[in-house]
Amino acid sequence: MADTLVDSNGTVTSSDWKDRFYHVDQILDRPGPRTDPSFLAGDEVKDFLRNNCKILVIGAGGLGCEILANLALTGFKDIHVIDMDTIDISNLNRQFLFRQADVGKPKAIVAAQFVMNRVPGVKVTPYYGRIQDKDDAYYLQFNLVICGLDSVEARRWINATLVNLVDPENPESLKPLIDGGTEGFKGQARVILPTVSSCYECSLDMLNKPTAFPICTIANTPRLPEHCIEWASVLEWPRVHGDKKLDTDDPEHIGWLLSVASARAKEFKIEGVTWSLTQGVVKNVIPAIASTNAIVAASCCNEAFKIATSSAAYLNNYFMLIGTDGVYSYTFEHEKRDHCPVCGGESLEISISREWTVERLIEMLTESQNIQIKRPSLSTPLKSIYFQSPPQLEEATRPNLEKKVSELVPDGGEVTVTASTLPFSLSLLITYT
Amino acid sequence: MTITATRSLEAQDIEGATTALQSQPDSKTRRYDRQLRLWAATGQAALESSRVLVISGSATSTAILKNLVLPGIGHFTILDHESVSPADAGNNFFLEGFKSIGKPRADEAVRLLSELNEGVEGKADHRTLESILESEPQWLTSFTLIIAHNLHSSILARLSSLLWKDHTYPALMVVRSTGFLAEFFIQFHEHTIIESHSETAPSLRIDKPFPALKEHALSLDYATMDPTEHGHIPYVVILVRALEEWKQSHEGNLPKTYEEKKQFKKGVLALKVKSDEENFDEAEAQSYRCFTETKVPSEISTLFDDSAISPESLRQDSSPFFHLLSALKEFTIQSESHTLPLTSTLPDMKSDTKSYIHLQRLYKIRAEEEKQAFTSYLRASVDDELIDSFVKNAHGLQVLRGRQWGAFDADKEALATALLTSPKELMIHLSLSALSAVNSRGVKPTLEALREEVQAIIGEGVVPPDELEHNIGELVRAPTAELPNMAAFLGGMIAQEAIKMITKQYIPVKGYCVIDLIETWTGVVGA
Repeated sequence: MADTLVDSNGTVTSSDWKDRFYHVDQILDRPGPRTDPSFLAGDEVKDFLRNNCKILVIGAGGLGCEILANLALTGFKDIHVIDMDTIDISNLNRQFLFRQADVGKPKAIVAAQFVMNRVPGVKVTPYYGRIQDKDDAYYLQFNLVICGLDSVEARRWINATLVNLVDPENPESLKPLIDGGTEGFKGQARVILPTVSSCYECSLDMLNKPTAFPICTIANTPRLPEHCIEWASVLEWPRVHGDKKLDTDDPEHIGWLLSVASARAKEFKIEGVTWSLTQGVVKNVIPAIASTNAIVAASCCNEAFKIATSSAAYLNNYFMLIGTDGVYSYTFEHEKRDHCPVCGGESLEISISREWTVERLIEMLTESQNIQIKRPSLSTPLKSIYFQSPPQLEEATRPNLEKKVSELVPDGGEVTVTASTLPFSLSLLITYT
Repeated sequence: MTITATRSLEAQDIEGATTALQSQPDSKTRRYDRQLRLWAATGQAALESSRVLVISGSATSTAILKNLVLPGIGHFTILDHESVSPADAGNNFFLEGFKSIGKPRADEAVRLLSELNEGVEGKADHRTLESILESEPQWLTSFTLIIAHNLHSSILARLSSLLWKDHTYPALMVVRSTGFLAEFFIQFHEHTIIESHSETAPSLRIDKPFPALKEHALSLDYATMDPTEHGHIPYVVILVRALEEWKQSHEGNLPKTYEEKKQFKKGVLALKVKSDEENFDEAEAQSYRCFTETKVPSEISTLFDDSAISPESLRQDSSPFFHLLSALKEFTIQSESHTLPLTSTLPDMKSDTKSYIHLQRLYKIRAEEEKQAFTSYLRASVDDELIDSFVKNAHGLQVLRGRQWGAFDADKEALATALLTSPKELMIHLSLSALSAVNSRGVKPTLEALREEVQAIIGEGVVPPDELEHNIGELVRAPTAELPNMAAFLGGMIAQEAIKMITKQYIPVKGYCVIDLIETWTGVVGA
């Protein structure tokens, strides 16, 4: 066995021992019946994968841990990972690069170190922070981006950023984005070629609407334990604690909510307020298991491998899996959305009543499944309508909230919508009914 | 340590219970929080008492085990006599790269997998499967589940026959993979499921209201009611009353034709005294509940014909599930409504607290009465918690009966049907069967050899679809490649099915589940 570890100079080497890539090389050394003709089997593709390809992984959580391990074994050697979170005990049932002793440490750093220790010769560069901290030049250095995120907002941000990076004069500026997501026994993986195929924003209406309880139910007619918990967190917490922010990761805060919610439940004879439910409601906890993450992450990495090597066709463009009743999956091409505010490049036409106030329009923009903008600011090419910040501008534009849109914008006029959470602006063409 | 249950509150002193509730759950409950929301303490207990045997310490095998050790199975054994090769060290995350080369593969894998969860016991076994089948076959039957990856056909056939001999023997999961193609199959005789987590809700029986509900609905005086109260009558009550009145004027019939349904809905909306009464809008939207008679769902009444509950088969030592099923059948015959026992779970609806809680109480009391009636038909002693769970989930019960591994390949009729209905899936399955057979004989897997083998299975003269050439082409390209991504993908799929088998929750796949990671799809054939 020892001779396989000795290189041509007679020294023992720890990486790229003979047959290290015995399995993957069977795919890279020769084409298959469905391989694209552009595939350059052999040393050239191996050299690109192992020495030149630079890949970014966003998220070092449930999907991220799996993605990092798979990429390292497949032969990617220059991997970067971004995550702003620290490790919590509830991560340990699936985030397999972390141990009990790591609780409290940054996920990106621990995960990167673990993979480098386990897989010799792989360089994983962690960044403990937000994706928004990085500029275009940073994102331009990668060949591929894989996302394993649990936040819609972060996905919209990276999607819009990569779409904006595309320069038609420079093919290198198009960065394929592979996105995965899971919930319980269900998950999906998709390939997005910014500006070419359907983007994340195009499919926004496929998201489940978050459960929201009307404030009057919470305040006056609670029926479910969830209503009592919302009462404690939405109404009682700010009343009692003033400006102190509710930290849903702080057990003392959860304990306080639980006791307040339990008292209210008792008063109304409602059963079922528990610690687990309280935490579930206020943190919007999504069930998560190792196996579903493994399936989705493997699928994402497999697409990354195929795109990086051209060794086989890649997913066009959406794979979804439901594992609750047998194994059901559906692979389909998600179509680009006309007037997608990110990759469509055109204005969104909306038709509203002449009676609508600016406030009503803002409410509609917040609630619409296609748009989903939190705290939007509105302006026309000539003047500002309403700005959420800075405070002086908010105050100056606040009187407009009660005005009719039709007083401020002509029929067929354009309104630009921006929000601090999104790196793009939405252009609306307003017509009146 | 055990999972903290928050259910047995009523038995405790309320003061003490309230304080206990408000302290943080123990660290084990916190660790498993995200999965307990899927399978609860019962599922977790089943996992913790399970013993899983995995045959071979391949990258796929360790990927499967990773996803079983993390959620906390009780015990696993890796049966593997090989030592780590340079190729293994390059594609298996549960080996330490070149440092592991030459060491026993099972030992290395068990050591590194065990780091994931101290609550799980792992064991390496260096014997060969051949020697166990010869000298100690009963050892295999001591496991809950056996998973075998890329075994040669001949030894696999021996293992599957042994485990098929008795219906109490463990289920066998057969996994095969090469390059971008893979499949797996679960061999089991019978698998019964109470908690299928069905997404259909049980009937509220609005068309067959129990006496207390009917009485309550008819006792309300809409005319003299306070307007706020009127705007908060739960839709269930509105519909029960509207339907009773409808039946009186329609010879006891439900609204049947499109016109009648429209008229019924109009009648519901006409009850509004103010246009913004959302409870009546909700009642109109829920009117469909009044248009079909509540009966035993056909999927459940089919189970009543199951041979396991015929008088000659049902014995004292039959499984509790079949005693419960037999009692359920009797209940649906004897009960006045000829339905499943009433659910005690009321969905949320527009209402004030008092009216909703009152209605919820009526359902709870009645559900408890019907549960008692159901229990009286039981001919064996069954744990009370199991009865509760059975009654609560009666609308989603499942009895699965499986086949022996390999039976499909010998069933010419089933193959002919699959050729028509799922040619793509069938060709992956048969290509992998052919590769295994060719390997078993020590023949080099060429296109010709694989083509001949597939032809022999489907029969001379049967023309295989074009997909065959694609698949055998891929197998010849990479005949022994265990790709890390495929291993991880299978690791997730197999663990997910193993969890469903062990917890008896959710519904496992029947037949051969095939995977194509070139076009990225999965399918099922030979169910």
